[in-house]
Formats: sequence, C-alpha cells, structure tokens
Amino acid sequence: MMATTYRVTRRTFLKATSTAAGAAAVLGFPAVLRAQARTIKIGAIHPVTGPLAEIGQAQRLGAQIAVDHVNAAGGIKSMGGARISLVLADTQTKPDVAVSETQRVINDGAVAITGPFHSGHAMAMVPIAQQRRIPFLIDISAADIITLSVAKSVKEGQQKVQYVYRYFASTGVFGNKAVTYMNEIFKAAGVSPKRAVLMYTNDAFGKPQSEAFIKAHKEIGSTFEIVEVIPFPEVPQDISTEVSRAKAARPDLICPITRPASAALLIPELAKQRVDVLGVISPGSPGLYEKPQIDRLGKNLEFTMDNVPWVNPVSPRAKRVAEEFTKRSGGKVLDTNSGCSYDAIVVLADVLERAKSTDADAIVDAIKKTNFTDPIMISAGPVKFNDVGDNIGASCAMIQILKGKAAVVHPKEVAEDKVVFPAPKYWERG
Amino acid sequence: MNLILLAQSLVNGLLFGGVYSLMAVGLSLIFGVMRVINFAHGDMMVWGMYLAFLLNAYLGVDPYLSFVVCAAALFVTGLAVQRGLVNRIMDAPHEMQILLMLGVALVLENVALVIFGPDTRRVATAFGASALWLGPIFLDLPRLLTFALSVTLSVALWLFLFRSDLGRTIRAASDNPTGALIVGSDVNRIYTVAFGVGAALVGAAGALTASFLPFSPTAGLPLTIASFNIVIIGGMGSLLGAFLGGLLVSVAESIGAVVLAPSLKEVVSFSLLVIILLFRPSGILGRRA
Repeated sequence: MMATTYRVTRRTFLKATSTAAGAAAVLGFPAVLRAQARTIKIGAIHPVTGPLAEIGQAQRLGAQIAVDHVNAAGGIKSMGGARISLVLADTQTKPDVAVSETQRVINDGAVAITGPFHSGHAMAMVPIAQQRRIPFLIDISAADIITLSVAKSVKEGQQKVQYVYRYFASTGVFGNKAVTYMNEIFKAAGVSPKRAVLMYTNDAFGKPQSEAFIKAHKEIGSTFEIVEVIPFPEVPQDISTEVSRAKAARPDLICPITRPASAALLIPELAKQRVDVLGVISPGSPGLYEKPQIDRLGKNLEFTMDNVPWVNPVSPRAKRVAEEFTKRSGGKVLDTNSGCSYDAIVVLADVLERAKSTDADAIVDAIKKTNFTDPIMISAGPVKFNDVGDNIGASCAMIQILKGKAAVVHPKEVAEDKVVFPAPKYWERG
Repeated sequence: MNLILLAQSLVNGLLFGGVYSLMAVGLSLIFGVMRVINFAHGDMMVWGMYLAFLLNAYLGVDPYLSFVVCAAALFVTGLAVQRGLVNRIMDAPHEMQILLMLGVALVLENVALVIFGPDTRRVATAFGASALWLGPIFLDLPRLLTFALSVTLSVALWLFLFRSDLGRTIRAASDNPTGALIVGSDVNRIYTVAFGVGAALVGAAGALTASFLPFSPTAGLPLTIASFNIVIIGGMGSLLGAFLGGLLVSVAESIGAVVLAPSLKEVVSFSLLVIILLFRPSGILGRRA
C-alpha cells in the first residue's frame, strides 16, 4: 500500500512559512503582546434572586461600581494596567447553587472570588476555594466558623494554605459592639431597660449571631437581662406566635436578628400586637435598613436601631460612591450590603497590585500583608487580616431609621443624627 | 405558663383553623366522591393566591372580595383537569392516579415559577394592620375575616350537598357509584362537578390567606401534605370530619408552638396523625371504608 505523502507544494510551503513568521513575530516581540491590557477576572457570587434578591442586587452593583473605579484609575498598574472584570454569579439564595456557581466561575477563569452574603453559602463554598486554590475574600458573612475552620485546619496541618479571608465583621465583633453601644446610648439617654427579648432567625447566621450577643452581654454586662430567647424559621410563614411569646415576657427591649423576609413580618406584627417597648435594637442583621424595606414597612420601621457596618458619613470618597450608587441604582441608598461589596473589590485590587501576579499563593501572600487605609465603611483601623483570616479593622456603628432614612447615630465621631431613645410607642406614631 | 398567652394561641389556632378546614373539606370532597388522591391540592391553593395577587396588583381588588373570582377560576380549572385528565384514569390503579396528580402539581408549580418568578409574595389588604381587642386577647382582622368566610363557604357546601338535587346526586354517587349509574345519574358529570367544587374551595382558601401567608411557587407541597394530614385525622370521606379536623390540627399546632417551640409546630400535628393512625385508623369521624 502506498503511504500517504504530503507533497510539499509551493502553496503549502508558503502557508507554513508565513504561519511560522507570524508566530515568531508575536512571540519574538513580547513587548507587543504586553502592551495589550490583560483582563483579570474576579468572581462575584451573590444572591441575586430568591429571598435575598434585593440585597444580592445591591451587592452586585456595589462590586461593579468598584470595578469601574479601579479600571478608571488605571487598573492594576503592576500588571501592565490590567483591567479587572467580574464573572457574575447568582446563588439564588441556595447553598447548593452557590457551590455549583463557584465551580463555574472558577472554570470561567476567575483568579479570586468574592461574595456571598449568606453565612451558610460561605461555609459551603469554603471547601471549593480551598480545593481549587482560589483566594476567596468574603465581602459579607458573619459566622466566625467560616474562617476559623480553615485557620484551624491549616494550623493542624490538614491544609497547606488558607485561601479564605473575610472583610466583614465576625459575630464576635457584632456582639461586642452591640452591647457596648447599647450601654453608651442608654447611659446618655438616662434610661435603664431591664428586660430584653432576643429573637433570631434560626439559620447559619442568626444562631451564631445570637450566641455572640449573649456571650458579649455576659462578659460586658448591662442594665438589662436577656429574659427570653426566641428563634424563628429563616423564611417564616407566620410570626404571630413568636411575637405573642415575646410580648408575654414583658420586654423593655426587643433585640431581633432578622433577614428581609422575617423582618417584613416581624415589624408589622410587633406594631399589630402593640408590643410596648422602649426600643427595637438589633445586635446586627439585614432586613432593617435597606431602602426597599423602609419603603415597605413605613412608620413601623421608624426608630428601629441596628448595629451594622455602615458607610462612613465623614469620608468624602464614601460620599462620592454613595452618589454614584444612588444614580446607578435608580434611587436606592448605599448601605451595609453594597458598601462592603464595594470595599471588598477595592481591597482585592490593592491585593492584586501588590501581588504583581494572579498566582494564588502570591495573592494570599499579598492578602496577609494588607494594610488598606481607605475603606468607605466605618472601621476601627486599616483593613488588616489576622491569623484567622478576619479583618481586624472591621467595625460597626449603630444606625437608626429616622424620617424614612437610615442614619448613623452612634458613636459620636461618625454620627449623622441624634439618637431617639426611648422610641415612641407603635400606636402613638402619627 | 402564661394564661393569656395560652388563650391567645387558642384563639389564633381557631382562627387559622378555618383555612385548614376549607382546604381539607375540598380535598375530602374530591376523595370522598371519586376516590382520587389530589396531590395537586396545595398547588391549586397557591394558584388561588397568585390570582388574588394579580387581581390586587393590576385591578386593585382586595383579596377578601376577589376570592369569589379565584374560586370561580379554580372551579373551571378543576373541571378541565377532571374532564381532560382524571376521567381517563378513573378505573386505573391508585398508583397511576397519584402519579398523574403529581404531574399536574409539578406543571402548576413550574408554570407559576415561569410566570411569577421564584420570589415570595404577599397581597396587601385594606385590613392588614387592624386588630380587634377582647381585653388582652387580640383578634387579627384578616384572620378573623378569613375564618368567617371559610366557615360560610363550608356551610354553603353543606347546604349544597344536603339540600340540592345535584348535591344529593353527588352523595349518591359517592356512596355507591354503580347504584347511581343504574338509576341513571350522569356519574361522569358528577365527578367533574365534584372536582371543580373541591378546587374552587381550595382556590378560595388561597385567596383568603394570601394577605397573611407569604407564598411562592414551591409553597404548594407543604399545603398538600397539611391537607392530607387533616383529612386523615378527621376521617377520609367525612366532610364534617375534615372540617373539625382542620380546627383541631390548627389549635394543636398553635398551642404546641407556644408550649414547646414555634419550630416544633409540625411535630405536634404529625404526632397527632401517628396517634390517630395507631388507635383509630379511619380517622375521628371516618367511615370504615
């Protein structure tokens, strides 16, 4: 049988040499390639649909604005002005989708990821980040165990490197600040509440958050006792029984740890059942400050206080970001959710700048050396990560819903408005 | 144990029991007459809720008025489902009926998902924030209205079944289908009407709860399970049993939520189911089939 030979015709010769010349031109002149700006992909994994949809959408916009700001300022200069771009993912507020979306985003070329808001989702995503060696800077999730579990396994030698870091405050910080601020506010108002009822959403965030509050209360002490602790389902059908139970405990304070769905039922129910309290003060939860919630709950949400990381009212940069956010969101307000996602991207950009590479371990090294001094959120210092992976600069402020707007009322250095405590009773509001 | 709290939970349980009763009565009618296990029951209720939502969002109609329209719409849907689907497998083994109704449930759920999206919704009503106070006990106005209307609808059903010719024929067909055929009743028409009425009742139940029960496309299955629970406890085939069962289960859940913990509510109602099945399997008022 005759072997197939490739005859070298003039055509094939010309084809081959021109390809080789082209390749040589490209490879032999690396300067030409580098002049083209690279794109560095960061995965943005948020609950854009489902019960946390409003929050996820705010987070996504906050992150996108940050990306636009970083790129407008020249991108990652140490990598030739590389631009960052987001690989968007929607967890649908479901942990299994969070996991599959994380995998997809990594497959799509993300060199780092941020997200996910829900502590349960974060816990599900941690093993993926560790297995696939993708740095994961959590923009919002409070449960301590998320970073603690990774730090522990690195310490015990089960994992080599910690890839999971957290920008947000952990439940320990929340509990501590909540009790401290409450004591200061009570002292300034000359009022001493005696009985507090703690009501919390029974999920991966609410339970640790409530435990941290109880722990901080025990350690720091206060004029009030926590007389009743009432859990409720994450997405409750009906919360009247829990509120009846709270009311029966004759509280001076209600301390709710909610999510948007539960807050939307809880606040009107407190008003409907005429629960007579000096105030409703959350140790730290979503659902009590977002503009859509304020619009939805109206005067019943007025005077509610929440101890959360908040946009720094005295930072000029924060003001500019807030204006841009309001414009691009069609009237919404830059808050905890959008602000933290903004900061997380800006911090990641700073990390990439110092890492000078998209290699996972180089990024982790740069994260560990972070000393970011210009976050837009109220902080206890520059963004710096401790040996557990948490941001030691993360802090909270007490905000209060006054005249339909969330305003910082404590501590004084960053207060925008005066705190109203005790709050008028539900049935005495106009 | 705080007496006021206990009394309040009793009242809450009773008020919500009206809805449970309405759901269960609808299911019992369908099962009692046709021996069809309607697994799409909860999803029909969710569709009643969505229709109330649409009428409220686009026409501004309060759900306490639009429930009539929702009931009518579900009646037509029930007729269509029975005529087009259930009728074909009336003589088939039970497993086939279950599968068919499960299929209907899935279709209803996913059509709702496509049209309305996965977000949880509630319908605003003019009485949303109102409550009546009997001393320290408060009666939530929407729930009170729902209770009153549910009882009215159940009584209306009773009157229809026991005082009208069609109702009498339906009861005859459910007692003895062969006998009814022999005396010339149009049994097929009866089945269709019965299914339609059952669907209408549960559609009304949906509209009447849309203002205080948040709903999403996937809310159907738990409601189906709750309906079955009540019907079995109250007695399959007995409408009065279903009605009383609804009140009983609701009060038990409510008191259980206060005495134990709110998240253990369903433990109470399902424990009740287990007890009934152990000691009186035909249900409280059930006929020994």
